[in-house]
Amino acid sequence: MKPTNLFILALALAPLALSAQERFATRNGHIAFHSSTPIENIDADNRKVTCVWDATTGAMEFAALIKAFEFEKALMQEHFNENYMESNTYPKATFKGKLSGVTADELHAAGTYVVTVAGDLTIHGVTKAVSLPGKVVVDAAGVVKATSEFIVKPEDYDIKIPGMVRKQIAETIKVTVDLSLDRM
Amino acid sequence: MNKKTVLLLAIAAMVLAGGYAWSEYSRGAAKASEMPVAATVTAESLMEAFTNDEASATARYVGASEQVVQVKGTIRSMDPVGADRTNVILETGNDLAGVVCEFANSDLGADWRSGSSVTINGFCTGMLLDVVMVRCTAVEL
Repeated sequence: MKPTNLFILALALAPLALSAQERFATRNGHIAFHSSTPIENIDADNRKVTCVWDATTGAMEFAALIKAFEFEKALMQEHFNENYMESNTYPKATFKGKLSGVTADELHAAGTYVVTVAGDLTIHGVTKAVSLPGKVVVDAAGVVKATSEFIVKPEDYDIKIPGMVRKQIAETIKVTVDLSLDRM
Repeated sequence: MNKKTVLLLAIAAMVLAGGYAWSEYSRGAAKASEMPVAATVTAESLMEAFTNDEASATARYVGASEQVVQVKGTIRSMDPVGADRTNVILETGNDLAGVVCEFANSDLGADWRSGSSVTINGFCTGMLLDVVMVRCTAVEL
């Protein structure tokens, strides 16, 4: 086949290839974390997380602004931003990787799928390869939701907790991700 | 000054210090309406600032510590987030990106709808796909 014909064929097939892509996104993803110690519990919520997921390839990306985490107490929020996360220097946490365990075709019917998300998680300027458990749920109305719960150790991301408050902050932080994804 | 007076003063000082420490510890996050406005900008200019130079815009509008930014603009859409919050998205001249202002429903302006010209005080947290403002309150002019 002549190169010109190949080019025309590629152009003709391009819309088919594009229409076959199943992409999902949200700008209102919810990430919460919970630190539990005998002295006190600390909770924070960020409801402005962005996530884009290409279900055809599995590629998934997250981004969260550190200053969008909200705490019950202002002092906790100040310490979180200024002393621990240094959010002026490291304003975002990101994840870039791949979700496996569900295919784009399966998302057209209601169901619950146990999935794994593997990739690079960057917090506080430190990037670590992670593999996280998760769940994708398609309800009867076709709404796609994704959830995950995992543990993060602050020391793995070079987050230093001063000795004075060491007993108030857990060595492992429980992170919960809750996304309601829209088709793009 | 006798010993009894010194003791009473010491106890009073300890009670005051303890009270201050407790009030600082239990202080909730300030509302945007309770703090002075550090910067005033239109939604279009805010988006332009972050698009052109994110680091510089972050320094100016997010700030080193919490500060209130007043944004003026036109509402593109209002989207409920859960039961008690609403995202008010302001036009920026870019159809793919807006200034997203998150409100507790009780802090929304009366009669706001798509197309309304509004003024909003809130805390700018930076830019992802959109410029993000949280804990916003309506400014009734």
